[in-house]
Amino acid sequence: MSNKAARNLFIYGSLFFFVIFLALTFDTMGKLDKRAPEITEEVNAGKMVWHKYDCIGCHTIFGNGSYFAPDMTKTAEKKPKEYLKKFLMDPKAVNPQASMPKLGITSEEADKLIAFLGWTSKVDTNGWPPKPILATAAGVAGRELTGGQKLYQSLGCSNCHMVNGIGGTTAPELTNVGSKRDKAWLTGHFKNPSAYVPNSAMPAFGNLSEKELNDLTDYMLTLKQEVKK
Amino acid sequence: MTIKHESQKIAQNFYTFAVLLFLVQVVVGIIAAVQFIWPGFFILNFNTIRTLHINALVVWLLVGFMGATYYVVSEESETELWSLPLAKFQFWATVVTITAVVLGYIIMGLYPQANILVSGTQLLNEGREYIEAPRWADILIVVSVLLFLLNCSMTVFKTKKWTGIQGVLLGGLVFLALMYLPGMFYTKSMVKDQFWWWWVVHLWVEGAWEIIAGALLAFMLMKLIGAKREVVEKWMYIEVGLVMFTGILGTGHHYYWIGTPSYWLWVGGIFSSLEPLPLLVMVWDAFRTTREHRQVTNKVGLFYAVAHAIFNFVGAGLWGIIHTLPQVNKWTHGTQITTAHGHLAFYGAYVLLVMAMIYVTLPAIRGVKEFNSSRAYQSFWWLTISMVFIVLTITGAGMVQTYMERLMGLDYVAVKANYNLWFWILRAIFGVGFLVGVGIFVVDYFKLGKEPARLKSAA
Ligand code: HEC
Ligand code: HEC
Ligand code: HEM
Ligand code: HEM
Ligand SMILES: [Fe+2]
Repeated sequence: MSNKAARNLFIYGSLFFFVIFLALTFDTMGKLDKRAPEITEEVNAGKMVWHKYDCIGCHTIFGNGSYFAPDMTKTAEKKPKEYLKKFLMDPKAVNPQASMPKLGITSEEADKLIAFLGWTSKVDTNGWPPKPILATAAGVAGRELTGGQKLYQSLGCSNCHMVNGIGGTTAPELTNVGSKRDKAWLTGHFKNPSAYVPNSAMPAFGNLSEKELNDLTDYMLTLKQEVKK
Repeated sequence: MTIKHESQKIAQNFYTFAVLLFLVQVVVGIIAAVQFIWPGFFILNFNTIRTLHINALVVWLLVGFMGATYYVVSEESETELWSLPLAKFQFWATVVTITAVVLGYIIMGLYPQANILVSGTQLLNEGREYIEAPRWADILIVVSVLLFLLNCSMTVFKTKKWTGIQGVLLGGLVFLALMYLPGMFYTKSMVKDQFWWWWVVHLWVEGAWEIIAGALLAFMLMKLIGAKREVVEKWMYIEVGLVMFTGILGTGHHYYWIGTPSYWLWVGGIFSSLEPLPLLVMVWDAFRTTREHRQVTNKVGLFYAVAHAIFNFVGAGLWGIIHTLPQVNKWTHGTQITTAHGHLAFYGAYVLLVMAMIYVTLPAIRGVKEFNSSRAYQSFWWLTISMVFIVLTITGAGMVQTYMERLMGLDYVAVKANYNLWFWILRAIFGVGFLVGVGIFVVDYFKLGKEPARLKSAA
């Protein structure tokens, strides 16, 4: 191959591939709005707040960004709004161990951010993040679940709490809660957390039946393992 | 060896700025690494530190490219630069802009409320990774790059020696400038935001910058070993051609999970898997050329150039291909695996490239034939060994994270704080080793050619 031929191959080949890329871009742009909910003014305002505080400097969203803090794509699906709002405005008030700083986010800004995160959680991301394949097997190991354990799973308590190494870290660990709290406290706290812990970020579970509350409380009382540090 | 044209000396201004920013980049990198263990370690939060780390990196590499390009264009055109005062102005304008941007980041880090909206965009920090620089700075940067391109093009027009090397080099730089523009407008959709953001980030490092690397590698092989221009340039065209044929559609490897249609899984998977190919050709090219010719005076320059080719392939090619298929990327996307790849790729492809260009051109600029190269080798080994260990450490952390968080469903923070703690500690330690290497390099940069050459025989 002569130099001139190699040069032409480079120039025209690059143009060729760039044109294909442009065509695909054009096609993609036409399809994006159908793969996501409508962008309201509030969602857009939330995106601006996201940029203002440089959240991407610690977090990823759609998996892109920084790897210092959890991905935000589906957060709004996992955590209730009231909780997120309290966390955003003052992380350490919700979780004394939080390393996210208090950035000075106002109440209105928090609402906007939550609307924005609600939007991202509904975007069709081709199934990302994937469901963990080993999670369902962990911790159960052939045992029949009690009523309380089933409720604990179905109500999403483990999104926030950890028991024996499994679950979220933004709320207190429950591995040893049975030796810390008694039955009355636990039941009352489920119905109205703020009555027991001022300004609690835990959602109330007052709509559960007496039996369900009982089951859940009984399960809590079985959790009496020393937490190894 | 001395320079043929006085204005080539301008390269040195750019190199000095680049070298100092390199030092800053690595110091803040270590602070970021410590914050993984101890989040409250510094007055500035992690996000600001990380912004400084990656912006310093990108800017010093760009500034290094600019210095190298002024040198190469003058050399290839066999004439003085079109306008030396313009080059000087462009240099100082860049320094002032970058300083202002950095101050803005620090102010924003200390007082987030200062990041107010001015005509629709943030004043101090745009809150978008790598292109955090606010809009006013974007515009100044574009103006600076345009002045730079004008000066280089006018120099070429003076003698009309359109060599392949400078054609490809300037072509790569024009592409680079164009690909900055997709990051300069606001979209309400986070999906579109990231779509265009990747045009900048991916089409830079896997497009424009690799073209620049191909041209500079060709230049170095020619200067260092006296290889034949025809041969070097032909392989250069093949390399940069393959970079574009695979890299442009390879952008699709970032469009798997951000809300874009699923055909990108095919497009991105197939084309990005081919991206290591041109990088392998570059390694082969460097070795073949080196073996054919033996009378090399600037051994350390050649050493860095070949190391650049090898680590470009290892960091970008190998550490890239391991997570580029959608079947794998689904699990590793946005984990420490990405960080491991990002570090080795940037180090191998561009840090070593700019360092190689400095060692190839600086002796001539300083007007020395021989220089004491022992520090240059020392710093190479400190840097490279530390970087390899940082990358292995973080690859380990990424594997643990992928397994525990993504496959087992453990909480992100639990994995980070408990299972990966030792990896963070190791990274910080190797980071200090890397800083030692940078320190040696900085000292060497300032002393090169200014000591008695006799030192050389002692080493
Ligand atoms: C300095 C780094 C940093 C910055 C900046 C930051 N975060 Fe965080 N964020 C964290 C860390 C770390 C966590 C994990 C929990 C913890 O340790 O605090 C977290 C947790 C969260 C959570 C709770 C996640 C959960 O599942 O409970 C939300 C929501 C959140 N961040 C949103 C944001 C938003 C929105 C912004 C921008 C306004 C932001 N963060 C800026 C570091 C940061
Ligand atoms: C959105 C996050 C969230 C969810 C979901 C959640 N909690 Fe909580 N929980 C908290 C927070 C925050 C606290 C700490 C404040 C408090 O004690 O009220 C807490 C406290 C507790 C406590 C008291 C722990 C102690 O040591 O004092 C118990 C028990 C508890 N939660 C059980 C549960 C159970 C059972 C569920 C599921 C039905 C659940 N939580 C769901 C956030 C949550
Ligand atoms: C010199 C060239 C390259 C450099 C400097 C580079 C650098 C980077 C960086 C910094 C990121 C992280 C971006 C972020 O912060 O979000 C990244 C992501 C990625 N790179 Fe590269 N890269 C190069 C070449 C390649 C090649 C050749 C491949 C494939 C063969 C590749 C595959 C990937 C993939 C798949 C991701 C996404 C990771 C994820 O899903 O989180 N890269 N690259
Ligand atoms: C020349 C050498 C270096 C280069 C080219 C480089 C490059 C980068 C890049 C591109 C990123 C952002 C993308 C990513 O996370 O992958 C990054 C982040 C980071 N770098 Fe570096 N870096 C270098 C040296 C260092 C050193 C010496 C340290 C300290 C040990 C360090 C610590 C970090 C940390 C902690 C992050 C944040 C990663 C995260 O978000 O999880 N870097 N670096
Ligand atoms: Fe890429």
